[in-house]
Amino acid sequence: MPIRRVIITLLIIGPLLALLAYGFTRDSHYIVSPLLAKPATPFTLALYDGRKLSLDNLRGKAVFLNFWASWCVPCREEARELEAAWQNIKETNMIFVGVAVQDTDQNALEFLKEFKITYPNGKDETAKIAVDYGTWGIPESFFIDPQGRITYKHVGAIRAALVVSKLAEAAKGIVSAQEGKGDYSAVK
Amino acid sequence: MKLTQACKLLALLLLLGGIVHHSDAAPAPDLEDQTRAISAELRCVVCQNLSVADSPSEMAQQMRAIVREQVQAGKSPDQIKDFFVSKYGEWVLLKPRTTGFSALLWILPYVVLVLGVLAALWLVHRWTLKKNTVQPSSAPALLAGETRAELLQGEIEEVDLEDTSARAQLLREHARLRGELAELDFDFQSEKLSESDYTALKQEIAAKGVNIVNRLAATPAEPPKTATQAKKRDVPSSARPQFRRWQIVAGGVFLLVFGLALGVMLTRSVRERDSEGGTITGDFMTGSTPPAARAALAEGKQAFSKQDFPKAIEAFKKVLADDPNNPEAHTYMGYILIQAGHGDGALMAFDKALSQAPNFPMALWGKGMVLYQDKKDYAGARQVLEQLLSLIPAGEERNEVIKVLATIPTTGGATTPSAAPEKGSASPSSSAQISGKITIDAKLKGSIDPNAALFIIARPATGGGGPPLAVKKIDRPTFPVDYTLSQENVMMQGTPFTGKINLTVRLDKDGNPVTRTPGDMTGEYKKNPVEVGTKNVDVVIDQATE
Repeated sequence: MPIRRVIITLLIIGPLLALLAYGFTRDSHYIVSPLLAKPATPFTLALYDGRKLSLDNLRGKAVFLNFWASWCVPCREEARELEAAWQNIKETNMIFVGVAVQDTDQNALEFLKEFKITYPNGKDETAKIAVDYGTWGIPESFFIDPQGRITYKHVGAIRAALVVSKLAEAAKGIVSAQEGKGDYSAVK
Repeated sequence: MKLTQACKLLALLLLLGGIVHHSDAAPAPDLEDQTRAISAELRCVVCQNLSVADSPSEMAQQMRAIVREQVQAGKSPDQIKDFFVSKYGEWVLLKPRTTGFSALLWILPYVVLVLGVLAALWLVHRWTLKKNTVQPSSAPALLAGETRAELLQGEIEEVDLEDTSARAQLLREHARLRGELAELDFDFQSEKLSESDYTALKQEIAAKGVNIVNRLAATPAEPPKTATQAKKRDVPSSARPQFRRWQIVAGGVFLLVFGLALGVMLTRSVRERDSEGGTITGDFMTGSTPPAARAALAEGKQAFSKQDFPKAIEAFKKVLADDPNNPEAHTYMGYILIQAGHGDGALMAFDKALSQAPNFPMALWGKGMVLYQDKKDYAGARQVLEQLLSLIPAGEERNEVIKVLATIPTTGGATTPSAAPEKGSASPSSSAQISGKITIDAKLKGSIDPNAALFIIARPATGGGGPPLAVKKIDRPTFPVDYTLSQENVMMQGTPFTGKINLTVRLDKDGNPVTRTPGDMTGEYKKNPVEVGTKNVDVVIDQATE
């Protein structure tokens, strides 16, 4: 009888303590995206070189979609890595697309010039694309397979090696089990 | 009758619910009202504790614009909320839905409440049964009337817990058997026991009971040893709960362990959020900085900002004892070593910091300046500062780094001594100073403490906290005071006295600029920020601390 009571007490208090401990460990700002393995929302991006880029036209290619801003320090940390990764894969059936959010044209263009970014970049003036992709911390990167499905999401600065390997997975249509995380800045 | 009343009440509630629901669903009078109503139900992704309607952030404004656009396109509030849920998940709803898994959030509290009330009722019922052991039972009369009466109805003597006499032990056993018998009755009434089991168990207890009662009769009662014992004897045993010793001990141990665990957990983990993205536990349980090191780091930074370097060194040493790779502590130690003129030591400290956090801006700046000004390693300094530059967004800080970079000779290592810091860009020159006059407001003149010290303080206009850029102290000043602030007054050796600064002055009663004493007086340059190199930067002391 006493052991039964002790067990019942532990069964009630144990989960409550576990819940408390779990709450302490969570980053309360982190928002888990529901977009993994879902179709990527189509968009048309006004590029800084004056052209327009439509996601629909990239069907058949693995796409690396990167949201950034010139004022965001982690974006600056990853900028050179991204250009290096782009130089490695630009001859393949993969493409990089950069989307500047909450930025001025002048600062964004200076950023692109400073880091010698050569892949297509455009601005999301109304944050519609950012909201369509559930963006909340930048940089945020999405990997889209040739069928237009999101296979991986990474919040925060990302390394070139991870970009290349996740893009290779996207090309094969492999969906990652969970998101990745690095240093990030909250959007303004 | 009761049922009819309940039905009427239910009908009334449904009717009221319908009215409320109807008023919710009624179209808002105009576009802005509708936009606001929907935005008020969405969580801002930046502020998180504010709704999209209430948040002043840029992202919330953009989300409101999207809501407005969708309202204009004729979408219903539910469709718009669904849109945001599809992008951010259920998290984005300030009010969780009453369907699916979220319904648990609404139902669970009520379920727990009902279970709690039921449990309390059950316990009360059980205790009542225990006390009232003479309740007529539906159980068959299985024991001889005399034995049963003796066992159940006989008055029990109260026995001291510490009394180890044979009679006391018999009395305790007697009490225990009564308890068992009561539980048995209860279990049988609750239909937890079959009649045959009940009969067998009761006979067993009765047999033991008879034995105890007989032995009690043969053991003479002893007079009470103390007054308290006598008092206890007057109280019927059934009036007090009968806890067994193991229950009391187990309860005490559990409460002690639970209290200790909770106390330790809370004191070690909960703290102020250190950044916008931080949690109340920071990296406790998930990160690397041990709690003791975190406290010492905060203490060290505070001491550093007050220029209490011995205390800061002690604190940073503590941090490094707990967390030998802490980049912040190494960096601050580096700055203290610069201050003391130990360039080599500072360089080692910055390198240690950078080995852990290669992009730590403070360490990059410190290393760059040591290489430039102390080691004359211009190529190295340029490389480090260029790395720093790539990390800093546009702004005053970035401009500062660009300015310093521009002064580094391009010819590399062994360059002309004229490029040395003492005579280089960071050296004092007629343009790298600020001068002016400090006066005191007429109404404060009578309150001047003759022993007060005057501090002239220059802080970078870019803000960001930390120690001032330059400070000059004048003991027992006589007003008006003519002053000049230049490179020689810079706090951190090696930092150039350039750029825009905010100039303030403080006439401090106790000579300690950190403490705020009643009677301290302050003033600031009315046209702050001011560029280094400006003359006639006159300040009037016109504020007094109360």
